[in-house]
Amino acid sequence: MNNKKKIFLSVLPATVAATIISMSTGSMAADSDPIKVGVMLPFSGVYAGLGESTRNGLKQAIKEQGNNIAGRPVEFIEMDTEAKPARAPEITSSLVDNQQADFVIGPVHSGVAMGMIKSIKGKDSIMIIPNAGANAATGAFCQPNVFRTSFSSWQTAFPMGKEAYDMGYKKIVTMSWNYGFGKESLEAFNESFTKAGGEVIKEMLVPFPKTEFQSYLTEIASINPDAVFVFFAGGGAVKFVKDYDAMGLKGKIPLLGSGFLTEGTTTAQGPAAEEVITTLHYADALDIPKNKHFRQDYETLYGKPADLFAVQGYDAGQLIAQAVTATQGNTSDKAALIEQMEQLEIDSPRGAFHFSKSHNPIQTIYLRKVVDGQNTVVKVAHENLEDPARGCRL
Amino acid sequence: MSILSNKSEKIFIYLFFAIGLFIPLFLEGNTFFINKFSTIIILAIFVMSLDYLVGRTGLITLGHAMFYGLGGYIFTILAPEYEAVNFWVYTFYVMLISGFIALIVGLIVLRTSGIYMIMITLALAQMSFYFFADSIEYGGQDGLFVYIKPETSIFGLNFLDLENETHFYYLCLLSLFNCFVFFKIIMNSSFGRVIDALKENPDRATALGYNIFHFRLIAYVLASSLAAYAGYLFALQFGFVNPSMMSWDVSATALVMALLGGLGTIYGAIIGSFVYEGLHYFIEHLTEYWMFFMGALIIALVLTLKNGMAGFLNTLSGGKRS
Amino acid sequence: MDTSLFLVQLLNGVQYGLLLFLIASGLTLVFGVMGILNLAHGSMYMIGAYLAYYFTTLTDSFLLAFIISGSIALVIGIIIERFLIIHLYKRDHLDQVLLTVGLIFIFNATQSFVWGNDPLGIEVPELLSGSIRLTDIVEYPVYRLFISLLCLLVAATMYFTINKTRLGMMIRAGESDRAMVENLGVDISKLFTIVFAIGVFLASLAGIVSVPIVSLVPGMGEHVLISCFVVVVIGGLGSIKGAFVAALIVGIADTYASVLLPQISSMSIYLLMALILLVKPQGLFKN
Repeated sequence: MNNKKKIFLSVLPATVAATIISMSTGSMAADSDPIKVGVMLPFSGVYAGLGESTRNGLKQAIKEQGNNIAGRPVEFIEMDTEAKPARAPEITSSLVDNQQADFVIGPVHSGVAMGMIKSIKGKDSIMIIPNAGANAATGAFCQPNVFRTSFSSWQTAFPMGKEAYDMGYKKIVTMSWNYGFGKESLEAFNESFTKAGGEVIKEMLVPFPKTEFQSYLTEIASINPDAVFVFFAGGGAVKFVKDYDAMGLKGKIPLLGSGFLTEGTTTAQGPAAEEVITTLHYADALDIPKNKHFRQDYETLYGKPADLFAVQGYDAGQLIAQAVTATQGNTSDKAALIEQMEQLEIDSPRGAFHFSKSHNPIQTIYLRKVVDGQNTVVKVAHENLEDPARGCRL
Repeated sequence: MSILSNKSEKIFIYLFFAIGLFIPLFLEGNTFFINKFSTIIILAIFVMSLDYLVGRTGLITLGHAMFYGLGGYIFTILAPEYEAVNFWVYTFYVMLISGFIALIVGLIVLRTSGIYMIMITLALAQMSFYFFADSIEYGGQDGLFVYIKPETSIFGLNFLDLENETHFYYLCLLSLFNCFVFFKIIMNSSFGRVIDALKENPDRATALGYNIFHFRLIAYVLASSLAAYAGYLFALQFGFVNPSMMSWDVSATALVMALLGGLGTIYGAIIGSFVYEGLHYFIEHLTEYWMFFMGALIIALVLTLKNGMAGFLNTLSGGKRS
Repeated sequence: MDTSLFLVQLLNGVQYGLLLFLIASGLTLVFGVMGILNLAHGSMYMIGAYLAYYFTTLTDSFLLAFIISGSIALVIGIIIERFLIIHLYKRDHLDQVLLTVGLIFIFNATQSFVWGNDPLGIEVPELLSGSIRLTDIVEYPVYRLFISLLCLLVAATMYFTINKTRLGMMIRAGESDRAMVENLGVDISKLFTIVFAIGVFLASLAGIVSVPIVSLVPGMGEHVLISCFVVVVIGGLGSIKGAFVAALIVGIADTYASVLLPQISSMSIYLLMALILLVKPQGLFKN
């Protein structure tokens, strides 16, 4: 509440002044002017939990700099996207045109990302995507001023195809919600699994956001494949894993998934999640010093354990801090800033990464298994995996 | 202007359009607020068409957003991807095609009435939502993009540039004005009087030899194609369409705006859209839990205002209920 | 599809349908007796679920949580009726829509404020946590069968209450002729309070029993609301019997469509509703 109020105090007078007196706010940034960071995340609705974690991580990274980068304070302007794509252009315009934000962090939801990219194209702000994994964001729709600190859907599912084949599974059923993220994950899995020599014998698409899975599970039981690969996230992932267990399938048909199946959901899933195998660019229990520090600090600051979304938000904050430090506090020359960002190496809790030509992280993907309610790393599934960035001309 | 029915309406309409004409001068360079006003005006057109349907003809729908979304999709699908088309020509196409769809849909839904009509319109809207959300060729859940905005020349004269926010704002304002005048003229025509009579007493109207079904169908087609026009403007403003434009909460929110403004008053749609969106904007900046205060405000308004904001203004200016 | 599989899917459909009936019954009851279309019905399902989650983690007993949450739901129902709905009886249907949309906003914000936005869930109570083997590969969770049994119990109780008790007589009379009920000396405002509270209770009951098998997420009420509408409309608004039949039809249709017609499965129940309304514009069991 407290920092919300602060934002209100800083935003409202500005907007009122703009409306009534129609003063144009100065666009020349003096050296001690705050760096404006617009935050576009869902703070209400289904994705609100993800938005909150992302914001926490982002603020932690800035706090580590003493809320001051190269002598300039950082000002956050927060907007609730409600995960509604239709609102995305309007809010982006508010941050970019009205507030003249230097950076816009967001969003969580891929549909919103598409609307944002469309509105930020050619503008004098840099967008950093801390989650939305739509391949197109750093593929067909890639932009010079759009970066991503999370992943592409392709990256999170592609390595599992080969891993699944190596585990000895030849015939697999795939299943996901019928929407972009899910379909892209299934495609990427299919691509590497087929190349390795396996066969996807059935693909099941469940209408989004339906969570009544009984009939699909019965169908899987009757097909009796070697294993099942699924994409579900959040509440749907909780429900699916619990239902899969309750139908007695878990012991008989191994469950594989894109990492989101067990990300931030294992507490709610309980014992049903044990032994589930997934691939992702992070794991809570990842054993590197940076991750340990990050998680310790996060828990002290916010009183709860960090998750993947916090890591991605944290890296967005680190990216801003490092880039602005490199330009000695100059944010008015965006081209120079972008050039710096392209060369940076980010020391992330997931392990160091740098950006591809299309501004997506080149990062290591881990094979993970849930043990005692925690995602533990079994091995590295693919080192420094780069998204193919299909359709990007950067 | 005899089409304005009472004093408060007169004052409001003159004041609104006078301010509307000059506001961009005071917002010089502030593209966000110009865009925001354009968005609300587009919404007001959508709400107005719903207001006519619900408030005047008594046909309650919870699926009006279907046409709002269709308007956007029809344009995005029809227009070639990398070539500027003519705005007016496509306005014609969008309204014609959506009108035709409304005719077919109307033939089905107007067989029912009351709560059942609410539900069947809801069902059809959900079906079209899922049709676009599940379709691969139309972008699925992520929607479609408009790459090139249309040009607006008439007979070689080109005075509006849709890429320019202020120009687009005036186009929206003009559209709202036309839409308002259009509905007022209809309401004062013999057609409008039959529609009013149908709502008051359908049996009597039937006895007088009017075919209720035909009149309702015409009203339904008119309101639906104007909703599609609003959706078309929305698609142009931000350059993309998305299935969420058709989701049931868009219809429900529009209904809330129409009710807030004062049902069946037409100009109340403008009040309702601006009040709702204005409150939303300010409360959202106050607190993360804006929904709580928004909800409480809506409830307070229902309990205190009997005929919406328009009814309240009317009482203020000493007029009687219209 | 072989026979045993077909039967398991039928069981899935019936089980889903019975749960739909439990959620929808309150909505149709309130509409039938009071003429109020309560859009916040889904929110009560959500609140019931969150309350049950909260008290289960607090007391470590699902049964205790069940009783406490149910009582709280009744109280919430009485408060809403006494302080808000009561002002709307003489007003338009649409004002009720507006008011209940306001309630949805308030409940959603309250949920997010009190319980946060991460998905939550609890384990199935020990006593009901087993599975029954149906075929050599499919097992069926006992808890789901328990829910079905509970739904049947509720349906039977409602049938008995409406047809055999004094309260039921008043409810039936209230549906047909309000003025007559008042002339008979029945306190109609008390009756309305009771019926509304029962409606809210039924919605939250569905939420409470679902907690162990669903995940609790913000906005879960709205998803339920739409399915609820479909059931109530197909059955005929206000008809309990209709809601029961329609819930089973929808549950079974949805189950088979998802397996046999995956291309249109998301539209299937709406298509079904549109088709039924075309043939019977007032639903299967007109009141």
